[in-house]
Amino acid sequence: MKHRSAQSSRIFTAVVRQHRIIRPRYRLLTLELDAKGSAAFASVMPGQFVEIDAGPLSLPQDKDIPAELLDSAKRNIMLRRPFSFSAIRHKGNKFEIDISYHVVGPSTVRLTTLVPGDSLNLIGPLGNGFRIDQSRPIAVLIAGGMGAPPIQHLAAHLKSHHPDMRVTAFIGARSLDEIPFDIGTDPDGGIIFPAFSSVGVPHAMTTDDGSFGVKGFVTQLVEKLLVPGPFQTDKAILYACGPEPMLTAVSRLAAKIGVHCQLSMERMMACGIGLCQSCAIKTRDPQAEDGWSYRLCCKDGPVLDGKDVIFD
Amino acid sequence: MTEPNLSIEFAGLTLKNPVFTASGTCGYIDELAAFMDVSALGGFTTKSITLYPRKGNFTPRIVETDAGMLNAIGLANIGLDRFLREKVPLIAQYDTAVFVNVAGRTIDEYVAVTERLSQEKAIAGFELNISCPNVKKGGITFGTDPQQVETITQTVKKVAGAKPLMVKLTPTVTDITVTARAAIAGGADALSMVNTFTAMVIDIEARRPILANRTGGLSGPAIKPIAVYLVQRVYREVAKLAGIPILGMGGIRNASDAAEFLIAGATAVAVGTASFIRPDCCQSVLDGLHDYCRRHKIANIRDLTGTLQD
Ligand SMILES: Cc1cc2nc3c(=O)[nH]c(=O)nc-3n(C[C@H](O)[C@H](O)[C@H](O)COP(=O)(O)OP(=O)(O)OC[C@H]3O[C@@H](n4cnc5c(N)ncnc54)[C@H](O)[C@@H]3O)c2cc1C
Ligand SMILES: Cc1cc2nc3c(=O)[nH]c(=O)nc-3n(C[C@H](O)[C@H](O)[C@H](O)COP(=O)(O)O)c2cc1C
Ligand code: FES
Repeated sequence: MKHRSAQSSRIFTAVVRQHRIIRPRYRLLTLELDAKGSAAFASVMPGQFVEIDAGPLSLPQDKDIPAELLDSAKRNIMLRRPFSFSAIRHKGNKFEIDISYHVVGPSTVRLTTLVPGDSLNLIGPLGNGFRIDQSRPIAVLIAGGMGAPPIQHLAAHLKSHHPDMRVTAFIGARSLDEIPFDIGTDPDGGIIFPAFSSVGVPHAMTTDDGSFGVKGFVTQLVEKLLVPGPFQTDKAILYACGPEPMLTAVSRLAAKIGVHCQLSMERMMACGIGLCQSCAIKTRDPQAEDGWSYRLCCKDGPVLDGKDVIFD
Repeated sequence: MTEPNLSIEFAGLTLKNPVFTASGTCGYIDELAAFMDVSALGGFTTKSITLYPRKGNFTPRIVETDAGMLNAIGLANIGLDRFLREKVPLIAQYDTAVFVNVAGRTIDEYVAVTERLSQEKAIAGFELNISCPNVKKGGITFGTDPQQVETITQTVKKVAGAKPLMVKLTPTVTDITVTARAAIAGGADALSMVNTFTAMVIDIEARRPILANRTGGLSGPAIKPIAVYLVQRVYREVAKLAGIPILGMGGIRNASDAAEFLIAGATAVAVGTASFIRPDCCQSVLDGLHDYCRRHKIANIRDLTGTLQD
């Protein structure tokens, strides 16, 4: 007799269905979840994430590893890594999820070796995603760099679940090479992102170096386009995901123009499920003597109310 | 053959098996319970509890290394009052021996926490954390000085009531048998070993340590052979003669790792970092130990302890 294994419904296997290069360092991985995973994903929200175990994957050959990652990416790995999803689809009674990722280190370098049919072990969906505020139907979505996937997912979610909302997306990247989506053209020859145009979300793009879209930071463009217009601040909300400096700017902008915002945060995570306390985020806490306390990015976040987050 | 008996005698308690969680890697209990049947465990060690809430260190608090990780959480915890109010009632719902890991800056703080919890039915015993490398005062300074180890053990033991007191040893000493002896002289009912090894990872672009705390404690498979060696030494030179059980830990990921610790002299084993990768790791260690006993025709797993051949 074996000991009864109380297998959790959120630890499951996914099979690679597609794996595509979007830019030299950006890839799109499509995974089909097994029955257990599909059940766990029934009520998933944009902004939630999965913890992927890339430990069992082998390294690519040296020639397929970006030169500047040759030292760092070849070390052994042990911990899982968090990834959000850029899209999720029903496939019969199963779910398929898209993960867009940036090749930056040992886990993501190993992910590049995946081919259709390979399997991965996942834990998820984890954390709290964006909470759709029905009383604020003007939704302004802001993405920076690798913060784009959950924003793409959110755009599709808002369009299908809240068709009356007015959704606009602003996407920033450092340069053309760092745009994590396919680029297309509309019938008039204008540049578009099918990821957003296919769900009917108007969008604008910035790059820091001006190699694509408007030159500058995405928050500057948001401020330029939003603030002067007839803009009902009590009906609007900003949903943002991106690097911390961008989120800081979004939170300042929201405070300045008096709108609500929700921010999807990132921290180094050892576990992703609340066991280790590694992913602390400084937040306002009126109950605390000194007015602040830590919340966990993995359990309380990753999406937090902008007014709660303290940026030092 | 009949099914192997996995139950053990540990510091005066009879436990259903020798598999524990390690402090700080399994939350207060409910976090792990979402991923495995916690009542299947022989024992559970909570996150360190201090008298007052502690926010812990700035981030980054962790960094991964080859075959391990460094952590400098800084004993972030909700403090004794909230632990009693929010977590003890949850703990009471599970059928496993829960050891509260107690930490503090002064001996008085250790005493206050232990005394207050000594009457709680849901708590099976205590683990004295005198070995945390990530807090400025207390912690490691207690754990490296044998005189202090004896004094703190003796003082806390007095207020632990009938509950067993386990002392967690730091490996960052010249001779671990000296601190092990000191803990036993102070009245420890069990030893747990080892805590993490102080270490550093440097960001070579910024020429700064990665961790906000600069240093952190190394855990995971990287430390396993050292931990096995230290358990074996303490068992042979101190614990066996004194009749004091050892809770062995450091890099355990599977039943084979766990068996090494038992053979080296541990009576029970704890899974730490590995639960981050597989939250139900303890369950597979348990299943694997069961299979190991069958394969080696070991009727009672307690007979495996200290069977290392010369
Ligand atoms: C909730 C959440 C969702 C995420 N979603 C995505 C996603 O959809 N696509 C994607 O490409 N990436 C995403 N990330 C980031 C992703 O987890 C890291 O890029 C990944 O861990 C890198 O692993 P690695 O082993 O390749 O490199 P590592 O060596 O682990 O990291 C490479 C570099 O990135 C930094 N880094 C790693 N993890 C983080 C983090 N969590 N926060 C800040 N810096 C970090 C490290 O300091 C290091 O400098 C997400 C992170 C979080 C917390
Ligand atoms: C993130 C983390 C937090 C920890 N927190 C504590 C703690 O609060 N108290 C304690 O006594 N040990 C703590 N430890 C040490 C573990 O209990 C254990 O002794 C050590 O990690 C070695 O085991 P492992 O390699 O299986 O993780 C912590 C370890 C990690 C990785
Ligand atoms: S990553 Fe472990 S608690 Fe958040």
